[in-house]
This record gives sequence, structure tokens and C-alpha cells, in this order.
Amino acid sequence: MKTKTESKRQAIIQAAAEVFREVGFERASMSDIRERIGGSKATLYNYFPSKEKLFFEVMHQAKEHELEAITSELDADADDLKRELVRFGQKFMTVLYSADAIAVRRLAIAESRHSDIGKLSFEQATVPIEKQVAEFLRKVMKRGALRTADPKIAAIHLLSLLESELLQRVLLGVIDTVKPGTLTGAVRRAVEVFLSGYERH
Amino acid sequence: MMSKNDGKRQAILESAYRLFRVQGFDGTSMSDITSQVGGSKATLYSHFPSKEELFVECMMAALQNYMSDTLKHLDASRSDPQAALRNFGTSVLNFICSSEQVEVRRLMIAEAARSGTGKLFFDKITALRAQISSFLAACMASGLLRRDDPDLAADHLGALLEAEILEPLLLHVREAAPDEEESAAAARRAVAAFLRAYAPTAPPIKIAAGPNAHLKRLPPHEL
Repeated sequence: MKTKTESKRQAIIQAAAEVFREVGFERASMSDIRERIGGSKATLYNYFPSKEKLFFEVMHQAKEHELEAITSELDADADDLKRELVRFGQKFMTVLYSADAIAVRRLAIAESRHSDIGKLSFEQATVPIEKQVAEFLRKVMKRGALRTADPKIAAIHLLSLLESELLQRVLLGVIDTVKPGTLTGAVRRAVEVFLSGYERH
Repeated sequence: MMSKNDGKRQAILESAYRLFRVQGFDGTSMSDITSQVGGSKATLYSHFPSKEELFVECMMAALQNYMSDTLKHLDASRSDPQAALRNFGTSVLNFICSSEQVEVRRLMIAEAARSGTGKLFFDKITALRAQISSFLAACMASGLLRRDDPDLAADHLGALLEAEILEPLLLHVREAAPDEEESAAAARRAVAAFLRAYAPTAPPIKIAAGPNAHLKRLPPHEL
């Protein structure tokens, strides 16, 4: 068996991302992906044992580590909490609402019945991000900048509010892309509502 | 007067809805439906060109019934609009987290890109939201909530209500719909955050004035 190389792995992921985007997860086949990169089917399976695993790798690689990196930058000691949350929300939503991320998110929901990719995406992406945001909010609450509440619930409320104006439209295909100005406004309104809901009285 | 054709269509919808609820989408075939309603498969297909479209119609009927049953109880003039909002939130959560409605939403999302059914579903959701908006507008008029864009407030309320439970259901991380107690607890937390955020004393959210005019909200179908 040939040694696996990172460049080959990346080439497969790149090709798979294109195929999934063009024909959707269900209709994409390992053969389609192999045709695009050349080489044997055995080689492809040597890198990725199933279409599900490859899909998840595409998704994870495309966006999740970027989202986690943005989330880990949240600074609980920032002087201006609103500014910090708007800055975070803006970067986070820009990645989450990019065309690629929207496509893989739709697929994860659509395919969750037939495979474990929905579960994988929740456990490996949603949960760690919620935990990081909750940890940030716990520190902010501890220093008294927000009222004391369950930080896990507050984190889920914040993340949900950020998407409140856009999620349905995007998941149902009413809009395919989101303009930066639209995103900026939605994020600012969500942060203001979150802060009013969780500020000290 | 209902034509013979409308009667047939209604009969198909009712049988199909029963079958979908019992057997699920994958477990129900167009042949199953034909054998329940009677008539030929050609007749069935003349009313509904695909199982997907038939399913969408069936499930929209459920949403339509829910809207007319539940929203009439949302009356801002009653003595305790906060309790009304909590009860409403619990009811909405029970409905949207039911296995049928989760399945509908999942299928809509799956089909959205291909068939345009997502827009039909979005229109129904927008109609539902408009009724919530008018309740919130009445609360704003009576001073219970601060004055703001009621559609925006409805989006925020909806997001807070869905926040805790819906995503794990959509992704099959959990299977069981929430029981009454869990829905009530999630609705209570969501409504508490919402009422604080929209309290008459909370600072207003500027929608689209002056330098922020370019940040104004999306009309339903536009970017």
C-alpha cells in the first residue's frame, strides 16, 4: 500500500467538496469523486472509508475549525462588551453564512436520517462552540458585566439570536447568499437584544 | 361549492396525511395512498405530481390548522399577556418539535434547493409570524413592550423559543420530542429573556435611521 500523503488527501477533499456542491450528498458517488481526481477507487477508499466520512471531512475542514478559532478569540475582559460581541458575531456569521457552509449545513440536516453525519456535525461543531461561548459568558457574568444566569442557556440564546433574521430564509433556500450589510444589521440587532435580555437590572 | 375534483383532492390529502403520520414519509408509497382513496394512480398523479408535493400540501394543512387553533388564543387585551406569551411559547414548541413537524422541516430543507418547495413553506411560516407580530404590536401599543419593529421582535422571540431544542432534533442527535414540562421550561427561559429585552425600559434598537439606513431588514423574499 502506498504511503498516504497530505496533498493527495487535500486533493480528494477539494474534489469531493465540488461534487457535493454540484449534485448534493445523496446523488454524489465515490466514483464521481474518483473521476475528478484520477487514480483507483481503492486509493480513494484508503483515504476515506465512506462517503459519509468524506462529507464530514469536507464540512469540518471547510468551516468548523474557522468557527472555533473565531469563538476562541472572545475576550471576557474586553472593556466594551457590546463591541466585543458585535465583532464576534460579525466574523462568526460571515463564515457560517458563506455559500459553502450553508450548503453543508443543509446537507447535514437532510442526510441526518440516513447517516450519522448530522450527529457528527452537532457533536464536533455545535457543541464545542456552544461550550466556548458559555465559558466566555460565565466569565463575563462572574465579573458582573451581565446578570447571573445559566451560561449554557445564555450561549444558546445568543447564537440563536444571531441567526434569527436569516436562518429560515437560508435553510429553505429563499435566499442563497447574504450581503455583508444585511449581516451587519442583523448581528447588531441580535447583540442589542441579547444584552438587553441579559444585562443586570 | 366544492367541485367533484376538489372533493377528490381533499380525500387524497386526508388519507395521505393519516398514512404519513403512521408510516412516515419513506414508509408511504403513492400506491398505498391510491389503495386507501380508491381510483387510479393516474388520478392521484393528476392532483399531485410527486409524493414530495403531496407531503408538503399535507403538512401545510397541519400548520394551517395549528395556526387557526392556537393563534386565536393570543389576545393582548387579556389580563396577563406575559402568561399568554409563555403558554403560546410552550404550545409552539410542542408543535414544531413534534416528530411530524421535525420531519416536515427536514424534508423541506432537503427539498428546498431542488424544487422550490422551501419558498412555499417559508410563506406559511411568514403568515404565522405575521399573526405573532400583530400580537406583539398590540403589546407595544399598550405599553407592555417597548415600541419597535414587531416583525423583528417576532423573529427574536421565535429564535429564542427554538434555541434549546430544535437543532438536536433536526440533526437526529435526539429522537424524542420534548414533553410538556421540557417545552414549558424552555419557553419560560426564552420568554423571560425576550420580555427583559423588550421591556419598556430597555433601550430601543435602531432599525434603519440615518447612517444605518443601509442596514435595514430584509423584506420576506429579498436580499
